[in-house]
Amino acid sequence: MLFFKSSKRFINFTPSCFPSQLGMQLAIRSVRRTLLLNRQRFKQNIIWKLYGVGFLTEQRAPASSASHVASFYVALAAAIAIGLSGSFANAEQLDVEKDELKFGFIKLTDCAPIVIAKEKGFFEEEGLQVEVIAQPNWKQLLDNVITGELDGAHMLSGQPIAATIGFGTKAHIVTAYTLDLNGNGITVSNDVWEQMVENEPSLDSPTPKHPISAAALKPVVQEKLDGGEKLQMGMVFPVSTHNYELRYWLASAGIHPGMYTSEDIKGFTDAEVELSVTPPPQMPATLEAGVISGYCVGEPWNQQAVAKGIGVPVTTNYDIWKNNPEKVFGVTKAWADDNPNTHLAVVKALIRAGKWLDQTGANGELINREEACRLLSKPNYVGADFDVIKNSMTGFFYFQKTDKRAMPDFNVFFKYHASFPWYSDGIWFLTQMRRWGQITEPKPDEWYHKVVKNVYLPRVYLKAAKMLVEEGKLVEADIPKTRDGYRPPTADFIDGIEFDPRKPVEYINKFKIGNKDEMSVATKP
Amino acid sequence: MKKFDSVKYTLLRAVDVSGFKVLDPVVRLAFGEEPPKQLRDIFRFLVVPTTFVLVCLGTWTVIAPRHKTKSGEVPTPEQVWKSLVINDTLNRREDEKEADFQASDADRAATIDEVKELLAARETKAAELKSQLSEIEAATTATQNARVGPLQEEYDRLKSESRERKSQRKLVIEELAEKVANENATSDELLDALREDKRLSEESKVAEKAVKERINKALAEPPVELKAAQMAFNTAANEVQHLKKRLDYLETGNRSLKVAKAEELAVASLAKLDSAEDAAAILASAMSVVRNEEKAAKTAAQNYPRAATIWFQVQRSLFTVFVGFVLAAAIAIPVGIMCGLNRVVMACLTPIISIFKPVSPVVWLLIFQIVVGAFFPNPETHPLFVYCSKLPFIGKLGVNPALIFSACTVAMCALWPALVNTALGVSSVERDHINVARVLRLGLWDRLTKIIIPSALPLVFAGLRISLGVGWMVLIAAEALSSSEGLGKFVWDEYQNGSSHSFANIIFACFVVGIIGFFLDRVMIVLQRLVSFDDGAAAV
Repeated sequence: MLFFKSSKRFINFTPSCFPSQLGMQLAIRSVRRTLLLNRQRFKQNIIWKLYGVGFLTEQRAPASSASHVASFYVALAAAIAIGLSGSFANAEQLDVEKDELKFGFIKLTDCAPIVIAKEKGFFEEEGLQVEVIAQPNWKQLLDNVITGELDGAHMLSGQPIAATIGFGTKAHIVTAYTLDLNGNGITVSNDVWEQMVENEPSLDSPTPKHPISAAALKPVVQEKLDGGEKLQMGMVFPVSTHNYELRYWLASAGIHPGMYTSEDIKGFTDAEVELSVTPPPQMPATLEAGVISGYCVGEPWNQQAVAKGIGVPVTTNYDIWKNNPEKVFGVTKAWADDNPNTHLAVVKALIRAGKWLDQTGANGELINREEACRLLSKPNYVGADFDVIKNSMTGFFYFQKTDKRAMPDFNVFFKYHASFPWYSDGIWFLTQMRRWGQITEPKPDEWYHKVVKNVYLPRVYLKAAKMLVEEGKLVEADIPKTRDGYRPPTADFIDGIEFDPRKPVEYINKFKIGNKDEMSVATKP
Repeated sequence: MKKFDSVKYTLLRAVDVSGFKVLDPVVRLAFGEEPPKQLRDIFRFLVVPTTFVLVCLGTWTVIAPRHKTKSGEVPTPEQVWKSLVINDTLNRREDEKEADFQASDADRAATIDEVKELLAARETKAAELKSQLSEIEAATTATQNARVGPLQEEYDRLKSESRERKSQRKLVIEELAEKVANENATSDELLDALREDKRLSEESKVAEKAVKERINKALAEPPVELKAAQMAFNTAANEVQHLKKRLDYLETGNRSLKVAKAEELAVASLAKLDSAEDAAAILASAMSVVRNEEKAAKTAAQNYPRAATIWFQVQRSLFTVFVGFVLAAAIAIPVGIMCGLNRVVMACLTPIISIFKPVSPVVWLLIFQIVVGAFFPNPETHPLFVYCSKLPFIGKLGVNPALIFSACTVAMCALWPALVNTALGVSSVERDHINVARVLRLGLWDRLTKIIIPSALPLVFAGLRISLGVGWMVLIAAEALSSSEGLGKFVWDEYQNGSSHSFANIIFACFVVGIIGFFLDRVMIVLQRLVSFDDGAAAV
């Protein structure tokens, strides 16, 4: 118990915050003992074996390798303490502070981990009784979390970050769990699709070549502009992944999607295409009504457009950025501080749900997805038809009625360490917020690193995962081996621009369209 | 005979007061009063209207499937009835799961066997339906392919032909341009050729488009039997899943089971505590005992987290409208009386009433969310909600800020008819009565309670009746917007679900709202009749 209590403080990573001199000695002694016991294991690649040890130190001094070594022991002690507290949990359930919880969600298939954790009894096994309540839109969902009406919620990845830095509603929101990767699509109306086909004859096939770039859309936009109009498109929230993806897709083909400024909070400045907010479930109806000519939204609302024959999905966000983070499980900082054990228990249940969702059979097929679709199709969850939800969730995607493609990675819940709250994910969203002017001031690199570390809580995830390993519900390979919580640089974008999460300002400057910051800002203290 | 008469008149009065005056001839007929006249009345006021409603239903049944929307066909009365059945099933499932969660050990064993048996039966049925479905699916794909295949061929043929013609024309035009350059042809000829080319390509495009549309149409319409088979299989599969979940609850998730487990652990730790020798071990097991005791107590107090179902939502909506209505009445009646008594007060309030009366409930809701929301910084620990959660019936409804906002919105919109009517009632008290009061030198209080309020009551109630109607109407919008669990949220959620049942569910909700509204109105009529003196109905 002593370790369990103190481990919470260990994670603050300064020797001074050990409960006592004795506590520190105890911790270090136990580290040594464990090292002796496990020498064989630790010998191989010691750094890699100690999950997250290195990056824990970055809390204090980002990107400084000297401090890695300096605080190595401290972090080591913390990591071991995490392990020990895990073994306490092994015998009995966590001592949760609150056992009846309410979680909010939006009717999208990527709320699946929350629904599965409830329906498959993972929450209950942690001693939690959870009510899962549909919310009408992202704004109200966030407000309900802030007022305490909800304990936690299915959130857009950008939401905790934006709330924390005060773009929109200000509140300190944190996340320790990424719900899924990918899962969005861009759909255009039949009319626009026909014009795109005219502009780009290669698209005129039942199965056109992917990825489809927005270049075919450019003449359509231009024609509208010549007529004194702007093409209207829908996205779900100003800080949603969809907004950034749609902007990215348009901008990669040279179409200006508009900038946010301190006066223009709608993001229409200089726009060639105007993007406005529509709640996901209303997208098909709004498209049908002709208010917008296209949208970017999560499932099942792209498949719904195909099923109803009102639009054509042209691309998915998997094509825009392979394995991009999509939704997170967010709670307020205050709630996380008041209910540390409950938070851990929730993350444990979610990790198990994510793993269950991505479980594959002998031939690599996703074995549990059909059952998941059945659960999600209940009217109090996503509520769309089972057959519509099934399309994208079981690894297929209909681009047109004649064009059904295998997309095994359309929804990733656990594979590729998807559920880990990577700092780099947060950095990407921050860079896009700056690129499009939602962050109005230039910021130095350090600021980006500081913000994500206030929002993402990989420590909680690691602690929960460790416990699950000890309980035999997770294997070590499921936990990412990372030194600092950043994914390596990647160029898996539709335009091939490399994203190095350690150099956000440099990344922002690589884009043709969007804000650019002086490089001197990057290194400014 | 006389005895019967008194029964008859009591019944007639009851029928009258409750507003079901159409039943009047039925009662009279039962007592044998002028049968021909009663029969004629029954025919005119009961049979004809009933037939009319049936004709309407018939028209609906015939017309609905013909109107194709992009969200599917308009549901028929049968489908709406089905959605009642489905919603009731969902409610039953929640009931069952709740019972399973709370079941005692004795009940559990029996239920487990029952559920297992049921599950086995349902699983075979689901498997059967599944194979049927896949057969139909295969057949559908085959017919679709058969239909689309030739069309696709035709489309491809048209396409290649037009492409060829286009390139030929291009050659001709290029030649012509050459000729123009060599002055063998006029530029007008070239222009004409270009125009002709444009026209021809447009033409072939139109032809292609027509074929493409036919292809899309062939693909778009899944046959009725496929839809029916899908639905049958889905229903069976849902039931199987439900039964599996029930088994989970009965076998592992049951509350008493969990309590027993925690208690067992506590006892085990207690035993360890007795046998432990060193201080650390003693402390550890003592802590474990306390922890598990606490855990057991906490688990015993746990409730099943019920998903909101239609009947619960109806109850909650009724409660919300009741709260709003009482609030409205509590404000409207005293203010109305003041307005009626004093013309200066009336003059002061008239601008406020006239400006706020036409404001939409949506606006009020947003204002209340901000203004009233400020009173509940932390709803979890707010005394009002803590108190409400402990009340017997209301506790189950889960009073939360969203409910308060909805109730306030209802109150704000329902306020005006009651207020205006009360003011009117008070100001139109007969002068004679006032004069009598003056002669008797009644004080203000006596004048109010003995003369003014009693004579204003019929109008007050008429106002309250309108208020309740307005309140009920507004409530649905308020709930939809504030996502306060209730009928409004049901409608909104269904709209968002966009499933094949959603449309029928929305129409179903429309009937639920209508029928409840009707009964609420009847209740108010009865109250109104009871307080009015005109036709002696108050005697009932």
